[in-house]
Amino acid sequence: MHELSIAENLSEIVIEVAEKEKLSKVTRVNVSFGKMVQIIPEFFETAFRAAVAGTIANDAEINIEEVPVTIRCNNCNLEMTLDEYNFVCERCGSSDIDIVTGRELYVKSIEGE
Amino acid sequence: MEIKIMKNILDSNQNRAEEVRSVMKKKNVCMINIISSPGAGKTTLLERICEKLAGRLKIGVIEGDITTDRDAQRLKRFDIPIVVINTGGACHLDSHSISKVLSYFDLDDLDVLFVENVGNLICPTSFDLGESFRLAVISTTEGDDKPAKYPMIFRQAKALVLNKIDLIPYTDFKYENFKNDIRKLNPSLPIFRVSATRGDGINEFTKWLEEQIVPE
Repeated sequence: MHELSIAENLSEIVIEVAEKEKLSKVTRVNVSFGKMVQIIPEFFETAFRAAVAGTIANDAEINIEEVPVTIRCNNCNLEMTLDEYNFVCERCGSSDIDIVTGRELYVKSIEGE
Repeated sequence: MEIKIMKNILDSNQNRAEEVRSVMKKKNVCMINIISSPGAGKTTLLERICEKLAGRLKIGVIEGDITTDRDAQRLKRFDIPIVVINTGGACHLDSHSISKVLSYFDLDDLDVLFVENVGNLICPTSFDLGESFRLAVISTTEGDDKPAKYPMIFRQAKALVLNKIDLIPYTDFKYENFKNDIRKLNPSLPIFRVSATRGDGINEFTKWLEEQIVPE
């Protein structure tokens, strides 16, 4: 249930930005979660509802983009998307790889009026 | 209207973690974040570590626990500074809670600060505490399929302690399967096979550990 603390952190950022931008209400929050962070969207939604309850983001919809895990091989430069966690280059077999996407925990934008 | 933010949601945790890291670096204290499932043997392992190293190194411990100080009680006999953080339900520690308790330690008089995180293989991996490195502990009774399910910790850890090897005959744990899965995630991850209750493999592990804490 890291969903709860992440939702609380998100709520703080959303409210801070909304107040700075003088919004009267937040209607939508757009976030990006990498698959490796293992956030369960349904849990997150529930946690988010609790975190924003009674704030100007009370009615905001949460829009979660799930980002697949992609890696780049430092030996042959191939970039590939992983369905299973196998951090080995599928072309040359090297395990000298970098994780390109899949660890995101971003708030992209908020919408409001 | 839409307002672009593009910010890491855990920015505030990350910033505090960097502050903790710089304090520890200045004080020359190695901070080790120990992550495992509940019951994998973190506290028993810490007892063995203290037995081997308490006379040679100045050790401090932060015990993260949802509630109770039972883990801390087990370490009292070593006469080392121990601070308990009760998370009150949260499944992980964060850098703010670490930062708050640092003042209870005399950092000038410490070589290493072990942080026993709350037992959980997923949640703690998202929260940087400002540690020098992470140590993963897995026990054979959890099954050999853990690596495939919890990739993040095996990517992040500097070493892995496989605990309860004495119980392998009573489980269907296959070390080869386990090792193959680890290879797919992090081929350079050192694996120490130990029995923290019996003491098997502890010498080799604490020797490695001491080298990390006090580099040659």
